[in-house]
Amino acid sequence: MNFMGYRRPDGRVGVRNYLAILPSVFCANKTAERIASQVPGAVALRHPVGCAQVGLDLELTARTLCAMGCHPNVGAALVVGLGCERFKPQELYDAIAASGKPVEMVVIQQEGGTTAAIRRGAELAAGLMKLVQAQHREPCPLSALMIGTKCGGTDATSGLAANPAVGSMVDRLIAEGGSAILSELNELLGTEKMLARRAVSPEVAVKICDAVYEIEDLLQSSLDFSLDSRRNELISPGNFDGGVSSVVEKSLGGVHKSGTSPIVDVLPYATAPETGKHGLFLMDYESHDGEVVTGEIGCGAQLVVFTTGRGNPTGHPLAPVIKVTGNSKTYLRMQENFDFDASGIISAGERVEDKGAELLELVLRVAGGALTAAEKIGGDELFCIGRRHGYHRKDPETLRACHGN
Amino acid sequence: MLRKSMMIHPADSVAMVLEDSRKGDVIRTERGDITLLEDVAFAHKVAVISLRADDPVIKYQEEIGYMLCDAPAGTWIHVHNMGCGRGKLTGGDMR
Repeated sequence: MNFMGYRRPDGRVGVRNYLAILPSVFCANKTAERIASQVPGAVALRHPVGCAQVGLDLELTARTLCAMGCHPNVGAALVVGLGCERFKPQELYDAIAASGKPVEMVVIQQEGGTTAAIRRGAELAAGLMKLVQAQHREPCPLSALMIGTKCGGTDATSGLAANPAVGSMVDRLIAEGGSAILSELNELLGTEKMLARRAVSPEVAVKICDAVYEIEDLLQSSLDFSLDSRRNELISPGNFDGGVSSVVEKSLGGVHKSGTSPIVDVLPYATAPETGKHGLFLMDYESHDGEVVTGEIGCGAQLVVFTTGRGNPTGHPLAPVIKVTGNSKTYLRMQENFDFDASGIISAGERVEDKGAELLELVLRVAGGALTAAEKIGGDELFCIGRRHGYHRKDPETLRACHGN
Repeated sequence: MLRKSMMIHPADSVAMVLEDSRKGDVIRTERGDITLLEDVAFAHKVAVISLRADDPVIKYQEEIGYMLCDAPAGTWIHVHNMGCGRGKLTGGDMR
């Protein structure tokens, strides 16, 4: 099996060919958007971070912005900096240049203000767009494809139909040499031991449990029982309305997205696997839809498969997001927001394996350029950079002991 | 009337109704025919055996929570009568 992709100078393969206009700090957002508006086809990546951050929080911002600029779905990039930010635009520029792709930079304070920066940026972007347009698709093997998975707006049909269909697709993709990522660890609470049994080695099994326990500890330390109890729910009102009664019930449904393949490694947020490693990965992060999708794309996923029983309109500016539901009522009510209806598994006795095969065909069509529902409506909400505020890691031994490990 | 339902695993203690159902409707399960004791919405859960307070609630062959009170077969099982401590408790009790 092959798909039609864009082969990049660093050997990675893109499924889209964007000119990314990338602010290195939120202060450059409007300038980046005004530049993008002058160059048809350019995409500005608005974000709220890059100011007054320290430690791991700043590292996640730097790592994610570098990963977006270097991403294979990006044909060329323009960095837009302010000039005084902690994560210097030059560092972002250098990281993108090291990937071998065309990159330019404009810095607002150096150009002498917004208007001058937009003028200079638009000139540079127009030059980059010519290089982007000269790039073409070619047949690429599935070993070059990595898919991110995510649930959002889960109901009880997600665990019965949508997630099993995605899991079957993931198994097929991995059998063909491809890769996939499972994440949102605070919605894997209660499944860590079954996931650990799928690890390729005892070391990876320990990494899986430690990652889930650390996220659970982080979650516990975030709860404040002096507040209204609605502020401390672990799953959403929509999940409850849809018949999901606990985080563990949600987890047991959500874990089906990962299929049955062995887990090769646990990846830090927005970090690519070691060279040569393929298969199923777990990304160590909690479950904000945008932050997880952006982190998975940062790990190298060129395409995301997103299951939702309640319905969800979101998309990502750099990667197609395929929307799958197991709820026939939701599908009929919000058809323009969906790419794939798996509800026949519940209502018509359709086989999970058949839906998985059908979904892989759709994935390859989308990889080859077919637009998703979210792309058609211009969804870009899922570009959100992961955050980490002042969490002090507990000793893993202590956390393991709490869980009888 | 007879309503469509599904048990994910025969050892589960709950089934899901696959259509909006009313009190007095019946679902046919691996654990026998169960009469619903209250209205139950699409995809929500019903006890297929009599459950006691503190009993584990089993779905996907795994514990998804524990009962907060006694509930006979046919009871709607949701957050009003089922608890789950994962992510909320500290110390040794991670139930």
